[in-house]
Amino acid sequence: MKLRLCLCLATISVVLAGAAPLQPARRPHYGGTLRVEIGPTVQSLDPAVVAAGREEADAKAELDALLYQQRSEDGTFVGTAGSGPFRVASWELGRRATFAANQDYREGRPFVDSIEIQMGRPAHDRVVDLELNKTDFAQIPAEQARQATDRGVRISTSQPNELLALVFLGSRSGKESPRMREAIGRCIDRAAIVNFILQKEGEAARGLLPQWSSGTAFLFPSETDVRTAKEIWSQISPSPKLVLGYDSADTLEQSVAERIVVNAKEAGISLVSRAIPASGEASLGQVQGETRGVTHVDARLVRLRMPSPLPRIALTAFIHRLEPIAGTVESPVPQSASPEDVYYCERSIMNSGLVVPIVWMPQVYGLSARVRDWKQPAAGESWPLADVWLDSTDSR
Amino acid sequence: MTFRSKLFVNFMLALLLSVGLVTAGVTVATRRAFDELNRQHTDALVEQFQREYDRRGHEVLNRVQGIAEAEPTVRMAIDLSRPNADISVYVNDARGVAQSHQLDFLDFVGTDGSIISSAEWSARFGYKMEWVTQKEDWATRGSFLMKLDTQDGPAVALMAVAAVRVGDKDLYVVGGERLGKEFLASLVLPENMRALLYLNLDPAFQPANLIDSTGPVVEAERFEPVIELERTHPGSLTEKINWTFDAASAEIFHAIPKLGRQNELLAVLLIGNSQRTVVTLQRHILWLAIGVAAIGILFGLFLSWWAAARVTLPVRRLAAGAREVSDGNWNTRVAVRGNDEIGQLAQSFNRMTQELVDQRERLIQAERVAAWREVARRLAHELKNPLFPLQTTVENLQRASTQNPDQFEEVFRESTGILLAEIENLKTIVGRFSDFAKMPQPELAPVDLNGIVRNVVKLFEAQFCAVGRPPITPELHLGENLPTIQADTTLLHRVIENLILNAMDAMPAGGILMMRTTPNDGNVDFEISDTGVGLTREEADRIFTPYYTTKQHGTGLGLAIVQAIVADHGGRISVESEMGVGTAFHVELPIKPPHPQTTPVVAEEVHEKKVEV
Repeated sequence: MKLRLCLCLATISVVLAGAAPLQPARRPHYGGTLRVEIGPTVQSLDPAVVAAGREEADAKAELDALLYQQRSEDGTFVGTAGSGPFRVASWELGRRATFAANQDYREGRPFVDSIEIQMGRPAHDRVVDLELNKTDFAQIPAEQARQATDRGVRISTSQPNELLALVFLGSRSGKESPRMREAIGRCIDRAAIVNFILQKEGEAARGLLPQWSSGTAFLFPSETDVRTAKEIWSQISPSPKLVLGYDSADTLEQSVAERIVVNAKEAGISLVSRAIPASGEASLGQVQGETRGVTHVDARLVRLRMPSPLPRIALTAFIHRLEPIAGTVESPVPQSASPEDVYYCERSIMNSGLVVPIVWMPQVYGLSARVRDWKQPAAGESWPLADVWLDSTDSR
Repeated sequence: MTFRSKLFVNFMLALLLSVGLVTAGVTVATRRAFDELNRQHTDALVEQFQREYDRRGHEVLNRVQGIAEAEPTVRMAIDLSRPNADISVYVNDARGVAQSHQLDFLDFVGTDGSIISSAEWSARFGYKMEWVTQKEDWATRGSFLMKLDTQDGPAVALMAVAAVRVGDKDLYVVGGERLGKEFLASLVLPENMRALLYLNLDPAFQPANLIDSTGPVVEAERFEPVIELERTHPGSLTEKINWTFDAASAEIFHAIPKLGRQNELLAVLLIGNSQRTVVTLQRHILWLAIGVAAIGILFGLFLSWWAAARVTLPVRRLAAGAREVSDGNWNTRVAVRGNDEIGQLAQSFNRMTQELVDQRERLIQAERVAAWREVARRLAHELKNPLFPLQTTVENLQRASTQNPDQFEEVFRESTGILLAEIENLKTIVGRFSDFAKMPQPELAPVDLNGIVRNVVKLFEAQFCAVGRPPITPELHLGENLPTIQADTTLLHRVIENLILNAMDAMPAGGILMMRTTPNDGNVDFEISDTGVGLTREEADRIFTPYYTTKQHGTGLGLAIVQAIVADHGGRISVESEMGVGTAFHVELPIKPPHPQTTPVVAEEVHEKKVEV
């Protein structure tokens, strides 16, 4: 009896102890200002105005998604500003913007009253502001996610949906070019790039599509084979000196490029890295052969963010975006969404050696503690800031 | 060139030589002193640079050790000592630490030699740095020079290694400072000095590898011999490089080889010391020396001139005195100053002139005595002959008056006749002496010598052919166009008479008497020669001496009178004679005598005789 009573009491204690953290879910409520910091400086919110760089283009697309309701087939926003969940309340060119909740939004008014957007904040400052609770939402470079987590920042990480690839410029084709591309592709240590440069945020890339999307990425090799690379390179005569370009404004690209140079050097490949002026998604196609007519490069690093989790759509978008750079991507877009078509198309591109996938990177966001109902956007989706609400009880 | 000029030139040569030697000596000594000073200065600077270099090495070592002992590093070492430690979190640590410690190179290296984090080349993570794990006591190793691979190519750095040991695992901190233009610019060097650095990164000399604090060195190829020498035989050496023809542009470079851990040559430090200041100072001193030398030479020039004048003044006085003496002024005296050699010479000169005067006086006195003796002898001789008949005649008169009174009248007449004759003879003798004493001054007038000769010969024609004596044949060779001369006709007549008489006396056995007149360059020569017995050399030497005669009844005044008359006409007379052949007298008369000559029958005139035997 006594033992049974003790067990009963213990059971009750355990149940109570376990039930303590399980507070009842708070109900969303309206109000508050969501503080957002972004890295680039957006010069214009007009969809018709082309952004100067990739980062600005990405940020501008996210902001436009808050202001516009409709998108065209090519992904650009159409309609009138303010048709989206928010409308522009104030605008300081290049510095800050305030979006107010659109009361008449057809899908319902956003929870927050307004969004204050501070532009031109470096990644390090964004992390610090998150740490100091000076901002509610900011995108964080993947390579800094681990450090931010260690410093107590609330992190939200997406699936790896942005490919960093090495693309050989089509104008540099030659008799020995396929072998050179193969040698360089084999000498790259992708695991070290993921582990050290990306701080384990991401995964080594095998194909043009991630394993979680296509399911066939494992069929492409990604292992480093320095010995084979050496042998291939030693058979190339005369041994050329190649130049690998990277976006001068992208520190991640610079780090990866330098690492590839080190890998290539180990294999005896003469490869140097060189910064080239930043080019946005829109101007990507202009970088061909000569970059801005100043810097001679044989290959360059390119970031490719998946526009959709669907393999066919993503691959088709990649092909369209790589074609102006690589020049001779002869493979047609997948005819159907069947895994076989997508795979063969992907294989075809991979076999050309013009594109060397390096790593898949996730999108990392830092959130303050009061941000509620944040849902990690899927590939191709915009920031769901209209769906989040601010917990006024959490004053941190 | 005068003695004074010679002395002046000698003084100047000695002065120039002295000044030149002193200047050269001072220049050489100055240059050597400057070279020595420069060497000491360079050595001091090199030593200072070496200390600065060592100090930088210690700084690097201290920084690396400071990093190794810092809390984050120790924590990293502890973390990495755990099994399955995640080294990726430290991949970016080195860059920040290197910046905060002002290091160009910083690598965190794991116990297996893998690079955990690299500041200079962050992409090298994961690669091995195996030399760090070699057995070496890094705590005592200190800093060292090392060749590194960087993104921009090979580089040389002053490195240090510190190990952090946790358990059985080590974390190595490898840091360093790049040896480059920044390193050179940070060195504290004195003025006029610069540091160059050659990075021995290539198998052969590359001019681009030679840098200074601003970048690649201009005309780097000039250093190739030095660098090549260092590459083959590393060691300290000094080389002077003249950048232009201007010596001031030269620099003395002290090469210091810098070796690595394996004693391989990694760099050559060149400490350059500009010679501009030294050369400028040397030039200043040289110009100063030249200026002083020039002033010295000018001063010496004046001093030499003055000294030569002062030294040669007594000599010049002596020379002037000697000239005076040579001109006949034997009473000349030289002022004596001091008792040096010149003073003694002047005293000797004065004594000599005094002695000459005294001797001349004594000689004149002796000659006067001798002349008077000769006069007395001749007078005695001349007067003695007439006196003896006078005495015997007077004695005959006395004897006749006493012994033969009857014959006295006749004896008286004869004796008075003899007495008168002898008295007349005495008067003649006295008259001759009187004539010689009272030789008249020549009264000059244009004279035809040939005419005089012919007149005199005409007077003697009877005597040439006199009965009772061998004939004498006169031969006249009178020159045509003989110019008239300014002379006294009577005296020249007497000269020719005496010479003819003398020749006739010399030809008792007869002979040929030849007379010749010839013009002779402003003079007229008259020669008279006989074929008589001739004269001895002694007779020829004394033939013109008054009262000297070789004849029984001669007065010895004939030729003396001839010589006096010729001298009064500014001419000269000489005699040539050969025993048994004959005698010839040569008379040289000027067309116009310079001035009337007196006839001092003294010894001074004797020397004018030209006697050729």
